[in-house]
Amino acid sequence: MSLLAAEGLVKEFGGLRAIDQLSVSIEEGELVGVMGPNGAGKSTFFNCVSGVIPPDDGTVTLEGTDVTSDSPESLAHRGLVRTFQDTRELETMTVRDNVRLAAPDQPGERTLPALLRSSSMREREETVRKRADELIEMFDLDHLADEYSSNLSGGQRKLLELARTLMLDPDVLLLDEPFAGVNPTLTREIADHIRNLNADGMTVVIIEHELETLTELVDRLIVLQQGRLLVEGEPEVVLEDERVIEAYLGGDSK
Amino acid sequence: MNVRDRLPSGHGDRALIAGVVCILVGALFALTPLRVQLPSAFYVFVEVGILFVIYGMLVLGLDLQYGHTGLVNFGHVVFFAVGAYATAMLSAQDSFAGIALAYPWPLGLVAGVIAAAILGAAVSLTSIRLRGDFLAIVTLATAEIFHSLFVNFEDIFGGNVGILGVPRPIAAVVSDGDTRLAATLLVLGGITLLTLAAVTRLTDAPYGRVLRAIRADELVTRSVGKSTITYKTQSFVYGAALAGLAGGLFALYNGAVAPGFFTIQVTVTVWIGMLLGGAANHRAVLAGLAIIMGLRLISRFALDVTPVSSDVFASMRLIVVGLILVAVIRYRPAGIWGDPQELGVDQ
Repeated sequence: MSLLAAEGLVKEFGGLRAIDQLSVSIEEGELVGVMGPNGAGKSTFFNCVSGVIPPDDGTVTLEGTDVTSDSPESLAHRGLVRTFQDTRELETMTVRDNVRLAAPDQPGERTLPALLRSSSMREREETVRKRADELIEMFDLDHLADEYSSNLSGGQRKLLELARTLMLDPDVLLLDEPFAGVNPTLTREIADHIRNLNADGMTVVIIEHELETLTELVDRLIVLQQGRLLVEGEPEVVLEDERVIEAYLGGDSK
Repeated sequence: MNVRDRLPSGHGDRALIAGVVCILVGALFALTPLRVQLPSAFYVFVEVGILFVIYGMLVLGLDLQYGHTGLVNFGHVVFFAVGAYATAMLSAQDSFAGIALAYPWPLGLVAGVIAAAILGAAVSLTSIRLRGDFLAIVTLATAEIFHSLFVNFEDIFGGNVGILGVPRPIAAVVSDGDTRLAATLLVLGGITLLTLAAVTRLTDAPYGRVLRAIRADELVTRSVGKSTITYKTQSFVYGAALAGLAGGLFALYNGAVAPGFFTIQVTVTVWIGMLLGGAANHRAVLAGLAIIMGLRLISRFALDVTPVSSDVFASMRLIVVGLILVAVIRYRPAGIWGDPQELGVDQ
């Protein structure tokens, strides 16, 4: 049984089929790349799987449970977390608060414990703060911890988004273009983080245009074209595939 | 850079202690033969002060909704009015017109809070899932609907006269006028301080972090596992309930309610106070409200020394308030004490 599976997903916007009968399955512990030309339906696929947009047809299962059209928050509770293509920081909050926010099981997020300043809230907050500080340090953001995240650069925002996501300790991580607009040094750094997370057992799915980084990072590549699955397999094999060269690289084999 | 690392401890408890002290001192005046004498020039300050602490509960609730959660409520007065009417109708001994059920006033007050909370829940149920501007329109419309209900259903709400004969618990135990005013200000001020303590605790806790995250980006907040609809509804209902409490207390202080007390002017005043002081900062919104109400008070005195008619003067006052608002928005768009980065406005 796959950890995450999409069966016959369909999503239309107006008359346009963004994804069309798309079936993809991800095994536990895999590191999978999703690529395809612009408009191939990569982000729509993520949106349907992560509950941001309900699909028109098809099913999504997570650990064998049907989670089609579940809300993003309930999917997050089930261990599936995503990032966004255009990094979405909580710009009016500090880096620290961005990361701390994502902590699950904080009783202080309910009215009564908050009003009464319950000890369970304070104890949990201690752990949350420690963990958040660890993650902030891990991503080299500690010197920016008290900055509003609107002051961060594009690359730093990508790091912050990763740190925030990891606060949830997800089983499945969906990353939408984690290297877009990031300088080469930081790209390598982010790639290393992803590799480490995967080595620790996290299942990761990445949408990316940065082919070089992607192909050396992932175990398996999925290529989408016009909302359908074009080819999937090991990166080396996929990149040599005629159809991929035709569709994605426009016949121009690098 | 202004960073408030909100540790859930200590902070905000001063308001709690001050509130309890105020209520106890107020009770001391009310229940013992102890008397105060106010200079007669002071009366107007105390009366405006009482209105200020009542409006203070309104602005704290509105700021929980708008400043912290980003919910736009242009009909805040309706929750104030519903709290006041529910309290009045349940506890009034006998009214000229409208319903007067003569239940004990504490029951009326509780009912006032609950009625406002229920209306808040109903409003949020209809529109909180929609985009923000819908909530603004629905709240504005709700306020107008209720205003015309109050005016037109005389048998129920007493029409333009309103509900009379509402018990005045403090006046009932203190016959002396000066002491009554002082005790009222202390008790109501104490309740406002307790409200301040409560909202501070809420927003300093991780609870407030979720609210501010919703204000910043609801989808991101959902994608890290927070049920934003629940939080938005709660925040809206709490704000409405606080307004209901303010309304109930107002009815019990004033001894009567009428539509004239609950015009859109109330909503405008608390909004201006909040924006002037700086949204998302409890003490700032109270200070902003104090400024706007203080200006109005000062202008009362100014009327006596200016050689213009009161009509002209009223227009001039509006112009001055307008100019101040324009100046604040131009030079301090986040309000006088607001944090522009936290509110996401460019200086």
